[in-house]
Amino acid sequence: MSEPIKIRATVKGTEGEVRVLMPHPMESGQRRDPAGQALPAHFITSITLSLNGRPVIEGALGTAVSANPLFAFQLQGVKAGDKVSIAWLDNKGQKGNAEGAFAAG
Amino acid sequence: MQRRDFLQAFGSATALAPLVVAGLLSPTRALAVSFNRAAFEARTAADALRLIGAAGAETSRDIQLKAPEVAENGAAVPIEVASSIPGTTRLSILIEKNPLPLALQFNFAAEATARFQAKLRMAESSRLRVVATAGGKHYTVFREVKVTVGGCGD
Repeated sequence: MSEPIKIRATVKGTEGEVRVLMPHPMESGQRRDPAGQALPAHFITSITLSLNGRPVIEGALGTAVSANPLFAFQLQGVKAGDKVSIAWLDNKGQKGNAEGAFAAG
Repeated sequence: MQRRDFLQAFGSATALAPLVVAGLLSPTRALAVSFNRAAFEARTAADALRLIGAAGAETSRDIQLKAPEVAENGAAVPIEVASSIPGTTRLSILIEKNPLPLALQFNFAAEATARFQAKLRMAESSRLRVVATAGGKHYTVFREVKVTVGGCGD
């Protein structure tokens, strides 16, 4: 994907909030092009959110997730500077990932 | 089962590390029980619930599901889900009238709160269902969302 993943991580006390936006068409496989041809499904099937390199949230996605998936998550026991990363894999085997750090919010 | 136990039940990350290096396990598999991909192909909510093992889920007031009563754009319906059931390790979302009802599932390790926000596609007005998994048991809550313009087709 050409558009970069956006990842924003803020921490208040020890509670961290992570917002991620993953540019992806998330084509559902239910649509047709103007010529009436079915558009093949092309969607993210799994994501992994890691805190300091350790997976803490793992997701399995279907075609009902909106285009350019936007998620918000909460983590505990977090401090400013902790690393957070997101990785995705789609049904065509394409991958994406990004890393950020928690900032005091 | 306590929240931390699922990792121990699967073996510690350290014990699994050699397998990861050997390519026998993907690193993410250490988080929790893996997903049943076939459930995402199910065409009815009943089949999807059965395939995720939640056919007998009992209704719980300890799951919060925030969603608009009326969604004008079915292509991006914002939802917020949280479970205050102790030891919740998984949240699953079903949109019962979608062509493929199972929308997503998240596994949560001990560091993660069993809560998230997402935007989902709804083909038409439908019941939205959350299933929370805790200690091997399944709990559920649902609510109706009216959709003005569907978001799955053209």
